[in-house]
Amino acid sequence: MLFLKRIYEWAEVRLGVRELVEKNLTGYLLPRNINFWYSMGSILLFIFVTQVITGILLLVYYLPEAEKAYTSIGAIMNAVPFGWLIRTCHVVGSNMMVLFVFLHMLSVLFMGSYKSPRELNWITGFVLFTLVQGLCLTGYLLPWSQLSFWATTVATNSVGAIPLIGEFLVEFLRGGKLVGAPTLGRFYTLHIAVFPLLIAIVVGAHLFFLERIGVSTPPFGQGDTRNRWQGDAFRYEGHPGGIPFFPNYLLQDMTSIAIYFALFAAVVFFSPNLFFTKDAFVQANPFQTPAHIKPEWYFLANYQTLKLFPNEFIGLSIQGAAMTFLALLPFIDRGKEKHPLKRPLFMVCAVGGILLYIGLSIWGHYS
Amino acid sequence: MNLERQAMKNLITCAGLAFLIGCLSIPVTAAEVSLGDKNVCISCHGGQPGRLGEPVKLWRESIHAANNVACNECHGGDPNDAVNAMSPARGFLGVPKETAIPGVCGRCHVGVEKDYMHSAHGRALGKGGPTCVTCHGNHLVVKATLDIINEKRCTACHGYERARIIREAMQQTEGLIVSMGERIDSYKGEGVETDRLEKGLFSVRNSFHSLSHNLDAEMVKRESARINTELNSISDSLGKIDEQRKKRRLAGVVVVGGALLAALVFCLLRRSYD
Repeated sequence: MLFLKRIYEWAEVRLGVRELVEKNLTGYLLPRNINFWYSMGSILLFIFVTQVITGILLLVYYLPEAEKAYTSIGAIMNAVPFGWLIRTCHVVGSNMMVLFVFLHMLSVLFMGSYKSPRELNWITGFVLFTLVQGLCLTGYLLPWSQLSFWATTVATNSVGAIPLIGEFLVEFLRGGKLVGAPTLGRFYTLHIAVFPLLIAIVVGAHLFFLERIGVSTPPFGQGDTRNRWQGDAFRYEGHPGGIPFFPNYLLQDMTSIAIYFALFAAVVFFSPNLFFTKDAFVQANPFQTPAHIKPEWYFLANYQTLKLFPNEFIGLSIQGAAMTFLALLPFIDRGKEKHPLKRPLFMVCAVGGILLYIGLSIWGHYS
Repeated sequence: MNLERQAMKNLITCAGLAFLIGCLSIPVTAAEVSLGDKNVCISCHGGQPGRLGEPVKLWRESIHAANNVACNECHGGDPNDAVNAMSPARGFLGVPKETAIPGVCGRCHVGVEKDYMHSAHGRALGKGGPTCVTCHGNHLVVKATLDIINEKRCTACHGYERARIIREAMQQTEGLIVSMGERIDSYKGEGVETDRLEKGLFSVRNSFHSLSHNLDAEMVKRESARINTELNSISDSLGKIDEQRKKRRLAGVVVVGGALLAALVFCLLRRSYD
């Protein structure tokens, strides 16, 4: 203990650790009515770190060449000690990341936390949402299985529906006319370097905005649920009399992370193939199209939407418009009220949107 | 008012960027994409009605299609050249003559052809005896099972008694082979490396099925016992995989339990601070 105290004092005189701890941990006060939905960001950070660690471990044995990729994945799953665990964690983690991004966005939507002055938090969060989807899509090709190959063929085909530059974009993405070794090289680079780096940068920006503006007050358990932002000058939203981040809310974060981990481990150990189909364990064969290619669960609604329209470009445009609307929501919804039950129009749109999304996903799954 | 104007400006500036991000984040498209068959036999005959198109439909459901064994493997010709696909110069055979059928099938199924040629069936080739396609069909060839030996089919030419003895002697082993095949398939569908087991079972299945071609009931009984020993060895390997799965689930119980316990401890600690 004496040794630790001496290290602390050593650091204190050099870095002002006490002030740092006071400002960011014990003196960092959060609203008294904060709830567990505020832990979603911490869970996502935990997932991202887990993905980076398991991804690095997979890189030790994965071979990013069309002829060797599938075999190397087979070796990881069957020959490398605990390789099956590392790969399963990576696959399940990627799906969990998308699921928790959805949950995080929904909690922000329903609690009105996207409203001024937090537009930049919302925008960076939305960019993270698209980057995570990009990360998952590029990772999907790497095992070079039938599922990877054909899902990527279908996904990259859709870009061809964009007028004038569609064909060029398809070739640019694939590195040729068809999905092949150059596509694997491109997606590999995007997956292990570009997307993680971009995500780390945007997460940094997201946290920076949070740090500058302060944590929003949940609209529950208090009389006035209106947004108190004046808009005339920059003001940090402090919470005098609130609960300290350390130890109180950190323990809430730890509780949420432990519950998440239990859910994650349950999938990894008891249903490791939940996110796989049989085609995921057959080597890619460009000459044999599997009977039914279905995208991952989080793309099923998009997939079904495209099938509903006779013209692929119309389907893409409608989805692009919906995504644009969502991205710009803080600029469109300028109302002061934050409580979801006091925002009937929002509630109708949000619940309708969620039901539509779930309905389209189920339809896409069974279609 | 200034704020609203500012908000409008922000809205317009962001619209273009967000639309692009929005479009790029929707990478999924219509489901069934057909690249078109590269094989000219299939692309030409597949679109034809009746007698000329029917073989393609049947073939698509066959084990040959599942294993990429295309038309030219039996009928010859050049599947990459539409003009000369059916040229004798490119080895096109067309429909093989009855007596040539075992030779065509035997190009791949070497052992089976040998057993067949030594059997009563083979000796009757060209004299009213059955060829490979009599029992297995021609285009809709499916994975062979004991169901092929049945009273209806056999009694078309002779009595069923001898065939029944052979079938009964093979029944139990066949059941084992089928159930093991299903277990291996199931593990394969979960990413387990099953190549060695598949090859082992493939070899056992072949030697076992070849018994049905030589039509010697005593030999069938004798060989079935030997084959059962080989099957037991495959069964042991499958048992090891089962055991490994059980251990993983047990580890899962510990990890999930530990995580839930940690959640409980953190939760109680938080409450003590509140």
